[in-house]
Amino acid sequence: MKKHVMFHGRECPHCKAMMPLVDRLEKETGLSIERLEVWHDEKNADLMRSYRPIFTPKCGGQLRVPTFFNTETNDAICGEVEYEKLKDWATK
Amino acid sequence: MKKFWRCYVCNDIHYGVKPPEICPTCAVKNAYVLISAREAKTICGAPAEADFSKDDFLTAIQKFTEDNEFMVNPDRAKVDLLFDGIFSNERNHGLKYCPCRLMCKELEEDLKIVCPCNFQIHETYKGLDKGECWCGLFIKRSKTSEVNP
Repeated sequence: MKKHVMFHGRECPHCKAMMPLVDRLEKETGLSIERLEVWHDEKNADLMRSYRPIFTPKCGGQLRVPTFFNTETNDAICGEVEYEKLKDWATK
Repeated sequence: MKKFWRCYVCNDIHYGVKPPEICPTCAVKNAYVLISAREAKTICGAPAEADFSKDDFLTAIQKFTEDNEFMVNPDRAKVDLLFDGIFSNERNHGLKYCPCRLMCKELEEDLKIVCPCNFQIHETYKGLDKGECWCGLFIKRSKTSEVNP
């Protein structure tokens, strides 16, 4: 798994809205964000569930998508966010 | 702990800590008897052939919102995408789970993400002028709200 991961759902409008921002982030920073779909891929879903103790305190007590996760710092943000917030998360 | 209850007169099923005093369907008093989850599943699955389409679901949630302070999002493209996910999740995972969250494989927790969920307690809705449920299917009405799609 890469350092930066985006857990997303294929039919989640927030995830869909964030995709162009993730593309822009990759282009501007040179970072690579691994995109893992969780409703149609059980392996990805299990992986996301394994991070439940880290994600839920930051995501309203639930597993929500999109969730952006830095596997090195355990920093996670979830939901549709402004580009600058996404960039801050990625470049910390 | 919640359990299943059956009206001995009309076979209405209730899921709760205690049964309703009066059956909302047949109006008979003290009509509910405790049953097993298996019985409840069989009774509720009786009209198994009856399809519940996306149009049926849209009609149901529009009716559900009529007397509430929230409405179905008028953004039809967003609603269509969400419905694709909700129905896909029902086919693949058993219930109409929210496409913008994920099951944790604990039934009690997972029931909290079945659409419509109890979104009025969520930080994306509670106390906000333009509140909405996490996925955006339901939005708080404003004075300038459009009618349901």
